[in-house]
Amino acid sequence: MITIIGCGNLIRKDDGVGPILIRKLWDLGVPSHVRLADGGTAGMDVVFQIGKAEELIIIDACTTGAEPGTVFEIPGEEVEETPLENINLHDFRWNHAIAMGKWLLKNDFPKKVTVYLIEAQDLSYGTGLSPAVDESVNKLAKKIIRKVSGEEIEVSNN
Amino acid sequence: MAQQTIKVPSLGRVEGDLDVKVKIEDGVVVDAWTEATMFRGFEKILIGKDPQAGLIMTPRICGICGGSHLTKSAYALDTAFHTEVPPNATLIRNIAQAVETLQSIPRWFYALFAIGLTHKNYQSSSLYEEVTRRWAPFVGVNYEKGVILSAKPVEIYAIFGGQWPHSSFMIPGGVMCAPTLSDVTRSISILGYFRKNWLEDVLLGCSMERWLQNKTWSDVLEWLEEKEEHYESDLGLFIRYSQEIGLDKYGAGPGKYLAAGSFPHPEKFMHPTIESRNSALIARSGVYDGENFYDFDQARVREDHTHSFYEGTGSYHPFEGFTNPLDPEEGLKQGKYTFAKAPRYLLDNGEETPLEVGPLARQLMVAREGAEDWQDYDPLIYNIVKEIGPSVMVRVLARFHEAPKYIRYVQNWLKQIDLNEKFYIKPGELIEGRGFGATEAARGFLADWIQVKDGKIEKYQIITPTAWNIGPRDRFGQRGPIETALIGTPIKNPEDPIELAHIAQGYDSCLVCTVHAYDAKTNKQLAKYRVTNF
Repeated sequence: MITIIGCGNLIRKDDGVGPILIRKLWDLGVPSHVRLADGGTAGMDVVFQIGKAEELIIIDACTTGAEPGTVFEIPGEEVEETPLENINLHDFRWNHAIAMGKWLLKNDFPKKVTVYLIEAQDLSYGTGLSPAVDESVNKLAKKIIRKVSGEEIEVSNN
Repeated sequence: MAQQTIKVPSLGRVEGDLDVKVKIEDGVVVDAWTEATMFRGFEKILIGKDPQAGLIMTPRICGICGGSHLTKSAYALDTAFHTEVPPNATLIRNIAQAVETLQSIPRWFYALFAIGLTHKNYQSSSLYEEVTRRWAPFVGVNYEKGVILSAKPVEIYAIFGGQWPHSSFMIPGGVMCAPTLSDVTRSISILGYFRKNWLEDVLLGCSMERWLQNKTWSDVLEWLEEKEEHYESDLGLFIRYSQEIGLDKYGAGPGKYLAAGSFPHPEKFMHPTIESRNSALIARSGVYDGENFYDFDQARVREDHTHSFYEGTGSYHPFEGFTNPLDPEEGLKQGKYTFAKAPRYLLDNGEETPLEVGPLARQLMVAREGAEDWQDYDPLIYNIVKEIGPSVMVRVLARFHEAPKYIRYVQNWLKQIDLNEKFYIKPGELIEGRGFGATEAARGFLADWIQVKDGKIEKYQIITPTAWNIGPRDRFGQRGPIETALIGTPIKNPEDPIELAHIAQGYDSCLVCTVHAYDAKTNKQLAKYRVTNF
């Protein structure tokens, strides 16, 4: 099973990319071995959504100063090195979810984890995405569908 | 796909903070200010939208009590639409509301509160070693159990609500689900698992029924000594340790309380109205001023803007209120200091008073005499307050005490669902009207006031439990409840005021706190202490 979790707050504009992308995947239709979860701003419950997946994909917003809509795929070693410290339920991000997930699920934690972060432009109160972010969500949704359907050849970075 | 190297710590999310400023003189807190540093404009987002937008928007305000937001926004619409709500729908709403709170109790204790109990200040306690063995973050034996089992109750929420958190399955006229027998039996078994594995084996060391026989503080003390299992349970250890480290001696708070109450009786709230709400509640609403109980009346709620970064200087009822933020720089010049308004309640004598909300307030209201036989009557926490006074310890006890009560409720409600009957009755269109919906989130009183005109939301006001508790001073100079609770606290080490963290966390406010301690005589900053959840 593959679990895909979209994190973020739908009423903070671009912060809603995660949950919005999950809805897009639902509309596009995913294979039966894929489980979609709207992680929202649930913090620890994102971890409980992982379930018994062999593979985990997390989508979240970020603010690095890059061009709005830029999609980052977090390198494997960054995902590997998520220390279990300074975690706080009110400021719980993808890296905390992974750290906590490893602690909670131990040997059952998915062997393969991919994190996509989309650069946000506007995190003010309200709904809807900025055009650049919206475009990236559509592209990323299609990419993820190809990936989980086994249509995308993975190029190893090693 | 662009690939770039990034540094992980820079990917921070904006997050609201609460700054607690205290002045310390001779080791005791002499004054306190709670400053919410972020404008939260949810009410602004809703204006001009479809009347039902609150069902989608408000559950996204919070990642821990989104279900409570949904409950009260659904009832606000029920009262505005004049809907008919079938008993099944009320049962499901009650179950959902209760399991969300059940999730919060162990998660709050192990992932937030108990961590402070492992602080090095308490190393000299004879119980310190046992406390850290059980409750130290990530390595404590019961920390792990508590955190993992806290996910169980909301599995029941997801069965009926489709997902947890942020579900929008309650709608005016009922709920959007058609449960099957297997949904009900699965829920019963999940609840039974949570009851046995956390409540009875870890927290109480006895059956739920045995604990619920306790009606007074002396009953609790007898229960403690009755069996080794009680004495050695997490609750037994908490009570003993609290008395040893003094959690029963400070953090009393304002001594005046408010509960909106929760859980309408399924047959007595089929036509929800603002006026009929109080008399339909199983867990009763009310106001207690330390001497007398009063009926809760939403018309007596006010929000004072005097010290808040919003336009306005007086106090306003939520139907008249408004949320026009000011630039904090400008606000500071006007003597304002926080983005929280100051909720107040107009008493019979004409005073507008701050009131504490939360489990302690709730458990006081259910001790009021004159309950119907189907309503909750429970004198335990009231007796404890009368015997030993309110404190950090008593606030925690009130929260724990709700776990067995809520499990018992949910067990009964699950049995009452009639799978052959309706879960939803379609209401008419809402063109114009006003509604009030309230519930009790884990943290306390939570309510919406909605006004609809020409089929659109004209006004929407939300008052959260955190606002009641962390609100600032009002125009009469009366402090908010947590500001009051902090004063008089003995601080062992002014550079590391863990005692203030216990108080703030005891209220379980929805904001991350940073405590700033200052010397009252020299105004020198002594400490900046971030009260994190881990």
